[in-house]
Amino acid sequence: MEVKLVDVWHSYDGFTYALKGINLALEGPGVYVLTGPNGSGKTTLLKVVSLMIRPSRGEVVVDGVKFWGLDENERSSLRKSVVYVHDKPILVRGSARYNLELGLRLRGTKVSEDSIGHYIAKYGLKDLEGRPVSRLSAGQAKLISIVRGLLLRPRLLALDEPFTFLDGAKASLLVEDLAEIARGGGTVVVATHYMHKGLRDCSKQVIELIDGEVAQREEI
Amino acid sequence: MSESILSITLRSLYVSSTAALIAFALAIALSAILARAPRKRAEMVLGVFEALVGVPTTVIGLFVYMLLYPHGPLGFMRLLYTPIAIVIGQFLVALPMAFTSMFRSFYELKEGVRELVLSLGCSEKHTTKVLLRELAPVLTSSYLLAFSRAIGELGVALIVGGGIEGYTSVLTTAIAVRTSIGDYELAIQIGLILLCITTSLALILKAFGERVLWR
Repeated sequence: MEVKLVDVWHSYDGFTYALKGINLALEGPGVYVLTGPNGSGKTTLLKVVSLMIRPSRGEVVVDGVKFWGLDENERSSLRKSVVYVHDKPILVRGSARYNLELGLRLRGTKVSEDSIGHYIAKYGLKDLEGRPVSRLSAGQAKLISIVRGLLLRPRLLALDEPFTFLDGAKASLLVEDLAEIARGGGTVVVATHYMHKGLRDCSKQVIELIDGEVAQREEI
Repeated sequence: MSESILSITLRSLYVSSTAALIAFALAIALSAILARAPRKRAEMVLGVFEALVGVPTTVIGLFVYMLLYPHGPLGFMRLLYTPIAIVIGQFLVALPMAFTSMFRSFYELKEGVRELVLSLGCSEKHTTKVLLRELAPVLTSSYLLAFSRAIGELGVALIVGGGIEGYTSVLTTAIAVRTSIGDYELAIQIGLILLCITTSLALILKAFGERVLWR
């Protein structure tokens, strides 16, 4: 999935800009990493790339089409290819299992036991399946929200601070999965403070944001 | 007393659950509309409804009486001293309670649910479905509060219903009438029934909710 941002500006309040004239192209499969200090605009940029926020100015071009110029149906159709995982997991009432399946249920996709079973086994979630989300730890909640995103097999997966609250082993497993998605032709965008070594090794590009602008782009 | 307590109880349940249901449905619709409004405007409307919660039911009864009085604007409908008049009055009593108890949660959950739905690559039309499920505990409590407020009020039922035995007599008016004629034993019995209805409903919904709805 190709996403291009052309002179993108975004402001939440109409006065201060979180993004200032961003020109960025995520061309082809691979893992793209966004870094930068707090308040540099990483989350906003990630949400713009994930088609969740309409920028105040500028264009978001997806596979050659101006996304925000499309009608609602066409936008919905394109959105199905994109999944965003929040830094603070948003879980709904119910069990961890219900939350894992939520994306699939909403899309009306058949829940594949093989696929869910694979991730449950891989990330050691067996004991958590039936547990109400109110009784999950921060790390467990984070893991559930990440796996929920992975299960949807998006063409573009955006993750905001995915390694927060994860232990080293789980973080390595996640990096493995992200690299696997990229190898399979998917695009992965990760906003992070913490540059996991494995993530750097498998990334295609590291983009540094400072004060809403692209300060540096490094091809790996 | 010619009318049985069972008959009065059934009428009370019917009238108050209908009034609470209409108030509940309107409160959901109002919340859905106002949830799209800017926060300041929504807070202002909420403030008005919060103030309305405290309005004495006798004042609401008087207002409905003036509406339904034969020479009033809705007098031609001949609804005064009918169970429908009580439903209208109790609806007005229950609405502020239903709305104020659900709106803040509605407003606060809406944005998070919208974010979640979009983040999963789904369209905004899925938001309502997820939001209603998330709100189930709040909505349950909200209906319960509206019903309790309706079934426990006396002013409206007495002023626009008249407590006519066999026709508009409900639990609260029956207690008032029995007390006024010194039939304390029956008044206490009816009072206990009213107490049982409200507390048992709360307990059943809580137990059911914790097992099914609120998990």
